[in-house]
Amino acid sequence: MARQRERAGWLFVAPNLAAVGVFLLFPLGFSLYLSFHAWDLFSAPRFVGLANYRRLFAADPLFLIALRNTAAFTVLTLVPTVVIGLGVAAVLNRKLMGIGIFRTIAFLPLVASTVAMAVVWRFIFTSDDGLLNIVFGWVGIDPLPWLIDPDWALVSLSIVTVWKSVPFATVILLAAMQGVPETLYEAAKIDGAGGLRRFWSITVPLIRGPLSFVFVITIISSVQAFDQAYALTGGNGGPETGTYLLGIMLFQNAFSFYEVGYAAALAWVIFAILLVVTLVQLRFARREEIEL
Amino acid sequence: MRAPACAPATEIGVAVRGSRVQRAILRRTLRGTLGYVALVGIAWCALAPILWALSGSLKRDGEITDPTLLPAQPQWSNYREIFDLLPLGRMLLNTTVYALCVTAGQVFFCALAGYAFARLRFRGRDALFLAYLGTLMVPLTVTVIPQFLIMRAFGWVDTPWAMIVPGLFGSAFGTYMMRQFFRTLPAELEEAAIIDGCTTWQVFWRVLLPHTRPALMVLAVLTWIGVWNDFLWPLVMIQRNEIATATLGLVRLQGQYHTQWPILMAATMVLLAPLLVIYAIAQKSFVSGIAQSGMGGR
Repeated sequence: MARQRERAGWLFVAPNLAAVGVFLLFPLGFSLYLSFHAWDLFSAPRFVGLANYRRLFAADPLFLIALRNTAAFTVLTLVPTVVIGLGVAAVLNRKLMGIGIFRTIAFLPLVASTVAMAVVWRFIFTSDDGLLNIVFGWVGIDPLPWLIDPDWALVSLSIVTVWKSVPFATVILLAAMQGVPETLYEAAKIDGAGGLRRFWSITVPLIRGPLSFVFVITIISSVQAFDQAYALTGGNGGPETGTYLLGIMLFQNAFSFYEVGYAAALAWVIFAILLVVTLVQLRFARREEIEL
Repeated sequence: MRAPACAPATEIGVAVRGSRVQRAILRRTLRGTLGYVALVGIAWCALAPILWALSGSLKRDGEITDPTLLPAQPQWSNYREIFDLLPLGRMLLNTTVYALCVTAGQVFFCALAGYAFARLRFRGRDALFLAYLGTLMVPLTVTVIPQFLIMRAFGWVDTPWAMIVPGLFGSAFGTYMMRQFFRTLPAELEEAAIIDGCTTWQVFWRVLLPHTRPALMVLAVLTWIGVWNDFLWPLVMIQRNEIATATLGLVRLQGQYHTQWPILMAATMVLLAPLLVIYAIAQKSFVSGIAQSGMGGR
């Protein structure tokens, strides 16, 4: 019986293991291998050592632009996502009649395709007659060059991303908030703490783990952002280099210029950045175990 | 509180208490109202872009600039037109087939492996599981190039296999999720079945699997949404329109008809609508899935 179960164990895991091995573990190692080679997909790969990495950091001005854009984009999405997510979760956490319906609607963007929503937002951002500039006109604000000016294009991209990522932050934070024991609030109420005070002194410290998790997930998806940039401002990261993100650079090098080794090196740099972020987060969250 | 000796004490007491109660009620109503104002604001922010797209999809080209939510005369023909411009119906069907295959495969193989990791002892299990956990941290961007090369080596680029096979045998994430769920099931279920002489397969298939329906549902919904909304993978893999996915169709449509907003909005609605319907039905398991796993989408 025990032997049968041992054999069954391997048998049950085998198909899954094969898939994870072929489509995840092997590619991971292979991409590291590629990053030390020059390869155009057609001739044989040529070993070039660290040349790809050197080129990234020393010789390619576009890498610095992509890095800077991605950093700015990450800040522009991270801060609003966390702040708004926290506020929305606090509002959705209240016990009001019909709250279920409001939660359902508030989480709706979770299922909306990023690409489809980027197209919708492009429509909203249209300069002359887009919804946003029309509404701005009503309150006397001059129309903004949303997708025309490089700096504004990055802001537009961030708005789309924030719209898409706030509900995710909210789901995590709301679930965490609902785990905070009610008695703590009651005790604080008796001590005369107001609503805002209770929020800062009880809710926020007690959901620190999930909060830092939201931080990291938001950073990870911002650093890797691709879909929304491609659908909103096109595959070249325009206007000019306004939305030229690391994700766009990777795609361009790999699938437009066929510089596979160079793109693999870039992928590993992105991976390294994310690894550092994750490790920093783990240090912060160590005291508070996050439920994964 | 001490009432002045000359005044009838009870009356003052009642008056004070009365106004205090009134004030409390007033404050509560005010806070309730503020809460609803905030809730409506949040709901509006979530819905507005989708509603605006819906409204735009039914407008005439010249009317699209009017900031009215309701189109003067709903142009249902916009929806017919997108199907004329692109084989969008075909693309929707493709996406559905891909999503069905991958979801069925994920649910089955992740449950199978999750059960093995949770309940069966075999050599190397724990080390293997640790490796699985490690891969969860690997971002898609790192692996997409070699994955493309593997697909090319298999000769699957620009074929449906590229869309189906990589997800068909399950993922590390799904296995992890199913393992967590299997561990919550009581051991007695299994023991009784083993004493009754069930094989390991029967224990899994007949006894334990029916109890994992909530988790299977969550995994199915997350997988379906992942495949339906996926963009980078089909963009890299698929050229031909006949086997393209709907997201790909939308982006190609945008490239060709980038100023025909009613057409584009109709296409986005066609892409969004099926998921919105699924969300409306399976909303609970979806939200709980994200909250539990904390790793929505891909």
